[in-house]
Amino acid sequence: MTQKKKDNLTKVMDYLKHEDPFSKGVAFCPGCGLELLIRFIPQVLGNDIVITGTPSCSAPVLLGQNNQTWHKLSYFGTLMTGAAANATGLARYYRKAGIENTVVCFNGDGTAADIGFGNLSGAAERNEPFIYICYDNEGYMNTGIQKSGTTPFGATTTTTPLGSASKGKNLRRMNLALKMAMHKIPYAATATLSDLDDLAKKLLKAKEAKKRGFAFLHVFAPCTTGWGFAPENTIEVCRRAVKTNYFPLWEAVNGKIRMTKTVKKPKPVTTYTELIKKFAHLSEEDLQILQDDVDYEYCMLGGLSVLEGECQLPVSSED
Amino acid sequence: MSSNKYFKHEGPWSDANDPLMCSDTGDWRTKRPIVDKDKCIFCGFCAIYCPIQVMEMIEESYFSPDLGFCKGCGICAKECPKNAISMMPEGDFKK
Repeated sequence: MTQKKKDNLTKVMDYLKHEDPFSKGVAFCPGCGLELLIRFIPQVLGNDIVITGTPSCSAPVLLGQNNQTWHKLSYFGTLMTGAAANATGLARYYRKAGIENTVVCFNGDGTAADIGFGNLSGAAERNEPFIYICYDNEGYMNTGIQKSGTTPFGATTTTTPLGSASKGKNLRRMNLALKMAMHKIPYAATATLSDLDDLAKKLLKAKEAKKRGFAFLHVFAPCTTGWGFAPENTIEVCRRAVKTNYFPLWEAVNGKIRMTKTVKKPKPVTTYTELIKKFAHLSEEDLQILQDDVDYEYCMLGGLSVLEGECQLPVSSED
Repeated sequence: MSSNKYFKHEGPWSDANDPLMCSDTGDWRTKRPIVDKDKCIFCGFCAIYCPIQVMEMIEESYFSPDLGFCKGCGICAKECPKNAISMMPEGDFKK
């Protein structure tokens, strides 16, 4: 009986080889996707990682308060404008000193897509040997839910409120992961919390790719407080985001894009937006704009992944 | 402040004599997860998806939450494929 039950155990457990370095009661909201992610990373990668990050939702826990900490990892808190530059310095120091460890630059989408994008792009161009993880909660959640570059069309935030003059964000979101893949770095990928085996594989691949240079992971981590959905739906929101192609899962090794999970019959984006209060006011036309945007990005991604396989440069003759 | 009994060994840069900060996040809970041991098929989805990672293996036959820290988000009950976990209002358990 016990053996039979053991066979049911999910394969994700095999990836959790290391101890959870965090104290049990930490100050994240109930149902926070970020908390699951930050506890998952050291359990997969090992506790010998050095995290560097910026003021964000993760900072109150990762940085510690007063003279005590919430975890036993090494953390280096820095400014939003220089996150990747600081990680560069750390990674170079460890390489020079001959210390084997992994530098993880752990930032929100505000740092990665808006404020710190300049030096993120620079670090990718210089191919610095560290892992950059962007947890995407589609806004500046820690400072009070302001809009960021990855906030999708129509979403209400405190800076794009719902009222007579404004009906949520009227601009589209940027595709940060694709931008980073275009740098032709050794590893770039998107992941989310509903597919934890996929996330664990990508983390391990990023650790492997770090020996060759820059690795970038874009992780979709919903925010219950900022988006307005019930805390128990965190994983369901991630799952529906994948099933509607709102957040497709793919990886790019040296710029070659490959889908890691293809959805055979993608559902309309309304199955995703109906769970979330920040999309509750959208009319049918607005939802169609969002749907078109999702389709556009997915088609572009599909086209790129085909191009990488088929497109070849004309070969010049020897003489 | 709760005592932290979870760490088996000291980290390379931590001091075991200096305890880590640890809030009584169990106090935040409005709903309490109750596991039906007979329905549990030991798939472990509740344990991997729990953001606080408080689901503990009991005798390798079922999972049970550590109520000292469980924030009561309900992800375990939602993700359980056999609906073996139900969320009961915390008020029912107050002495």
